[in-house]
Formats: sequence, structure tokens, C-alpha cells
Amino acid sequence: MSLTMENKQDIFDPRPRKFIVWLFVVSSTIMFGGFTSYYLVFVASKGKGHGLVLPDAFIYSTFVIIASSITLMIASRCLRKSNFKTQRVMLWLSVILAVVFGFIQFSAWGNLVKTGATLVNNNAAISFIYIVSGLHLFHIIAGVGLIFNALAGSYKNIPLAKKEYRMEIASIFWHFIDILWIYLYVFLLLNR
Amino acid sequence: MSTLVLNDEHNHDHADHGHHKETLISKYIFSMDHKMIAKQFLITGIIMAVIAMFLSILFRIQLAWPDKSFPFLETFLGKWAEGGRIKSDFYLALVTIHGTIMVFFVLTAGLSGTFSNLLIPLQIGARDMASPFLNMLSYWFFFTACSIMMASFFIQTGPASAGWTVYPPLSALPQAIPGSGLGMTMWLISMVLFVASSLMGGINYVSTILNMRTKGMDLWKMPLTIWAFFLTAILGILSFPVLVAGVVLLIFDRSFGTSFYLSDIVMGTTILPNEGGSPILWQHLFWFLGHPEVYIVIMPAMGIASEVMAVNSRKPIFGYHAMVYSLIGITVLSFLVWGHHMFVTGMNPLLGGVFMVTTLIIAVPSAVKTFNWLATLWRGNIRFTPAMLFAIGLVSFFISGGLTGIWLGNASLDITLHDTYFVVAHFHLVMGSAAIFGMLAGVYHWFPKMFGRMMNPKLGYLHFWLTFVAAYLVFFPLHFLGLDGVPRRYYAFTEFEFMKKWLTVNVFVTWSAIVAALAQVAFLFNFFYSIFRGKIATQNPWEANTLEWTAPVEHLHGNWPGEIPTVYRWPYDYSKPGDEGDFIPQTVPFSQTMSSNLPHDFEGNPEAERIQLEWEAANPVIVDKV
Repeated sequence: MSLTMENKQDIFDPRPRKFIVWLFVVSSTIMFGGFTSYYLVFVASKGKGHGLVLPDAFIYSTFVIIASSITLMIASRCLRKSNFKTQRVMLWLSVILAVVFGFIQFSAWGNLVKTGATLVNNNAAISFIYIVSGLHLFHIIAGVGLIFNALAGSYKNIPLAKKEYRMEIASIFWHFIDILWIYLYVFLLLNR
Repeated sequence: MSTLVLNDEHNHDHADHGHHKETLISKYIFSMDHKMIAKQFLITGIIMAVIAMFLSILFRIQLAWPDKSFPFLETFLGKWAEGGRIKSDFYLALVTIHGTIMVFFVLTAGLSGTFSNLLIPLQIGARDMASPFLNMLSYWFFFTACSIMMASFFIQTGPASAGWTVYPPLSALPQAIPGSGLGMTMWLISMVLFVASSLMGGINYVSTILNMRTKGMDLWKMPLTIWAFFLTAILGILSFPVLVAGVVLLIFDRSFGTSFYLSDIVMGTTILPNEGGSPILWQHLFWFLGHPEVYIVIMPAMGIASEVMAVNSRKPIFGYHAMVYSLIGITVLSFLVWGHHMFVTGMNPLLGGVFMVTTLIIAVPSAVKTFNWLATLWRGNIRFTPAMLFAIGLVSFFISGGLTGIWLGNASLDITLHDTYFVVAHFHLVMGSAAIFGMLAGVYHWFPKMFGRMMNPKLGYLHFWLTFVAAYLVFFPLHFLGLDGVPRRYYAFTEFEFMKKWLTVNVFVTWSAIVAALAQVAFLFNFFYSIFRGKIATQNPWEANTLEWTAPVEHLHGNWPGEIPTVYRWPYDYSKPGDEGDFIPQTVPFSQTMSSNLPHDFEGNPEAERIQLEWEAANPVIVDKV
């Protein structure tokens, strides 16, 4: 059983794995699609939504996450020009922005609680805000993991193709959760 | 970009998989080899199937002899069978866990997990999955999910008992029944892990099929097994996340006090604070997964049956393209029919009508498949291997269970038959028995590929006939109970006057179930004995065309020594007129089969057609003979 295949030069093919990230994005989209369709059916059958003025913090966090997407985009550009130093700075900046985003989300929940719109609520539409923003935050944690992966790739001495692969999957996922948040925020704004 | 060019030359080996040393742990436990992971899924699936079958025998005993005491049950089950009679709470736990294990752990993970893992890389010509690591993780998430589900038998309040569909409010209120306590929490955790496992698997399968096919293997040269696994994986990716969404909300309702599914509930004398939710919303989220789920269960079995029947009829599968399009049709339609599970929820009749129409349309692709299977058998040179018998068995169950689907798809009939034994009979035939027969066909057929040995065919025949006959004897009578209005999930038929007359039928069904269960001993013995002592398999024991049989019997990491073979033709060139043998593997180029080439083989390539015509002109005798 110790036969091994005839070893050719090891070639790294990122395509199938990048595709995996895309498929994950699809399944995650479906999950949030499930949540928002729950909300739509709920609103249609009960004739009421969350009925809140959403805390301003959500606006700030939206800007922060857009900013983090921009820094990540710059990081990708820098890597393409083999400018590793700026790439690292931009990646770290993205991580910091992600942490700020998380902090603002927590403060937004704090604001909601102060106004009496708590998680445990007789209006499930209000509980819903916590659930989707909370699950989105879980995605942020995973995204930060991928950014750290790209960072580690940038520091380590690995082939450029692998550095690029790590950077790319971090970008795909991060831009996705950026757009996802904008979708959720706009959804909540439009479906009071 | 340079990687793209190199790929075609070198069949892209995995960078991190070229040459590592195998230890006991990396080979058998945390294996990243798709063939080993397939075996892990299969053996775990078999163990779970035996457990779920055992649970069904327990509740069948209760149904047949509700008033009789069986002291051995108390010995086994302790307080859940005090006085030798299964308690009503435990009865509900039994049916719930039986359903959950069979649908999710056996027929989803055990079936897709085993055969997608084994066959996708081998039949499309890849070294391994797109991400072997994710693949390994997929198995271990599945294993953890199984363990947590089984662990719920060992807690004070027992396993989840709200039925495999765990409808709230019953499942959402821990104080409602014992089974809605910790057992339900464990069910939900187990299910989240299971969904994570399925998604990791499914994502991997799709990426592998789309990106890693060998040279020449275009989509229309893929065996139907691969098409089926591919579409099944897509179904899973698109539907399982919705179940997660539903489960997350249920977890919050249960453990944090939200009201997503709860409203206006009075428990005894206390009024619960929950307000404003709707349990119907759970049903929508659940069945949006739940209906595609039944196709996730049956489609891999269909793919396996198509392949096994073509090989053993020594004929091309009838209507290859129609088979693929019908699978695609089923995939698309399966997302549009979930409402047929909810006709009695007070659904708008117009909406019910829409769901009824979409449901009945599914009969079209299903019938296409059935007729194509029959046409494949017709005038075939049939070899009745055990795998072939099980594949034919699948067709039989699919027809007899599918016909009642047309009844149940009609809203007006379903309102009467809903939640009766008629439904139980229907789905146990069409997705239960049919899918398990597909899985068994696959085990018998690809056992030599998995273990390098053959299973004993005589025991296989014994297994088939006993199981086939007993399964019909179990499920066929249940139709009549259902037509008489006997509801499913009821604990004792002695409690209601109109159900008493069915007690004798229940005794008969239970005996049949016991025979069916005993028949599995023949399989289990055959399976485990043959792993170690079976006849050594040759490389291509069934004389099949697909790529996996060009790989050496001995498993090696990377599947083929040296180059991955190139594919030149579709996988169903069996008994091709003009050819000496009765099968032409996919790796044989047309230049080696001049006497059997047909004009449409060249897909309009004028150069190839010219060469063929020249050859035919030069060899008139051989051509005339054809």
C-alpha cells in the first residue's frame, strides 16, 4: 500500500478551492435569504414589522465596513505590485476596522436595549434584528480569520501564487460580508 | 496565470499531497483520502442504519402487542419500558430518532457521503477532492452529529420526541414533553453540525466536478452517477442553509425566550408570555429544506441505479440526455413544491392549487426516469448480480411508492390522508425503501472498488429476496390503514374503537419487519466478512466502462499511478454493434474501434468523419457484417 503516485513537480491550482469559497458565499446567501423571507412572511401575516427607528450606530458601522473593504482592495493591489509592506499595513488596517465594526454593532444593540427593544420581545421582528446582525457578526469573525490567513501568507516565505490565493479568498469573503451587511441594513430600513 | 497552462499538462496534483508519510492516524482516522473517507461514511452509515432499524423494531413491537408485557424490554431499556411495555413518551422518541437517523444520517450522509466521495474523483479522473481537508472535516462533523444524537438516549429526559420534523410549539417548549427538554437541544445541536458537514461535503463535490475533470471528460461524458451526485450537492447547498436559519430561530425560542414561532400558549393554568410568533413559519422554513431533502435522498440512488442497470443490462442507458434533463427538472421543481406538506395549515386554497400543480409536474421527470430504466432493461443481456437486483428493486419501489405520491399531491385527497399511515406507506416505499435499495446496489457494485474484494453473491441474493418481499409486506398494508383514517405516530391502537380492527394487521406488519431486520444479518455478515476474507477482486469485475475501473485494485493516494487516463467517449458503449467485445471503456479512443464507430460519435468533426469513411471504404467486409 505504500505506492505513491509518480511525483511530478507540485503545482498549486487555486481554482477549485476558490470555487469552494464562492459556493460557501452562495450557501450563506441562502441562509440569510431564509431569514429575510421569514421576516417578509411574518410581516405579511402580522401586518407589522419592527417599527423602530434603527440606531444611528448602524449607519456608522456601515461606513466602517465599506472602509474596510476599500483597505482590503488596496491590499490586493499592493500584492499584485509585490509591495508586501503596504499590503500588510492595509491588511492590519482592515482588521482594525473589522474590530471597530464589531464594537459599533455591540453599541447598536446597547442602544436598542436602552430604548426597550430587547432581544426577548413579543415582536419577533425586533428579535430578528439581533439574530441577523449577530449571525452577520459571526461571519465577520470568520472573515477576520481569513484576513489573518492572508497576513500570515504575506509574512511567510511562500510562493507568490499561494500568497495571492490567500489574499483572494479573504477578499471574496470580505466583500461578500460587506455587501451582506448593506443588504441587511437596507432590508431592515425598508421593511419597518 | 501560468498555473492554468501547466495544469493541462500535469493533471494538477495537490501541492500539499504529493508525498507525505502515512501514519495509522492519518490513514485510518483523520484521513484526507477520499476513498478512506468514503469507507468511513459507509461504515458509520451502516451502524446508524442498524440502530435506526432496531428502534423501528421496538416501536413495531409496541404497535403489534400494545397490551402485552415483554420483560426483556425492561432489561434493555430500564425505566423507558417499565413492566416490559414501552412508555408512550419513549415511543415518540423512538419514531422521532428513527426518522431523523434514517433521513439524515443514513440516506443523506451515508448515501451521498459514501458514493460521492468514492466515485466523484474516480469517475471524473481526479487525484482527490478539491479540498481534502474540508472533506475530512465533513466526516468528523458528521460523526460528532451522530454521537450527540445517540448520546441523547443516555440522558434523564430522553431524546427529542416531537417527530423528525420537530414542529414547534411542541419542540419549542421544554416543559411540553420530556423529549422537548435537553434531548431536543441535543437534536438541534446535532442537526447544525450535520448541516455543516453536508455543506462542506456538497461544496467540495460541486467544486471537484466542475473544476477537476480529466482531459476529455466534458459534462456530457460524465456517468449518470456523477450527474446525480452533482445535482444532489447543488440541492443541498441551496436548501440546507434555510434549515439552519429555521433551527437558529428555534434555538432562540427554546433557550432565550424569543417568540419567533410561539404565540398565545396556555400550559395547564399558566399563560406563557410569548406572543406574536407563528409556528407555521417553522413549517415553511423546514419544508423548504425538507422537500428538496427527499430528492437529496433519492437522486444519488437513482444515479447509482442508472449506472448499475446499464452495466448489467450490457446496454447503453436508454435516453442518457433525458436522464440528465429529468434530474435537472427534479432539482428545479423540488424547490417549488414544499407547500404540499402544508395543505392543512389553513393555506390559501389558491396557493395550495399552485403547489399542487408544481407537485404533480414532478411526476413527469420521475416517469421519464422510470420508463428509461425499463427501456434499458428491455431486451438487455441482463446479468442478475446482487447489485442489479437491488437496482431493479429500486425501480419497483419507486413506481409503487411514486403512484401514491400522485394521490397525496392532490390537495383535496391530501386533506383526508394527511398524517395517516397512507403517508407513512408512501414515503417509506418511494424514498425509504427505494433509496436504501439504491444504496445497497451501490455497496454490492462498488464493494470491489472499495475493499479490493468481492461480496458473496449467494448471500446477496438471499439478502435481496428477503428484504424485497418483507419490505412490501411491511409497507403495503399500511396504505389501507391510512385509507381508513388511522393517524400516524399514535401510541396504541387499543385506545380507539375504530383502530382496533387493524391490530391483527399490525401484528403481521411487525412480523414482516422482524423478518426484514433479520435479513440484514445476511448483509452485515457478508459485508464485514468479505472485507477480510472475500474473493480477491479483479480490476474490472463487472466489465464496466467508467474510469474508476481503470485504476488499480490496490488503493493508492492519487488513484492512478502516473498520468490520469484521458477520456474519449461517453460511459455507455455497451454491446456496440460492430465491436468484438460488449463494452468499450471510456479511455479507448475511436481510432481503436473503427469497426464500431457511428457517424454521431464524431460530434460533427469533419476530419474524423473523413478518416472513418476512408477506413470503411477500405474494409467493406467488416462493415457489411454490421
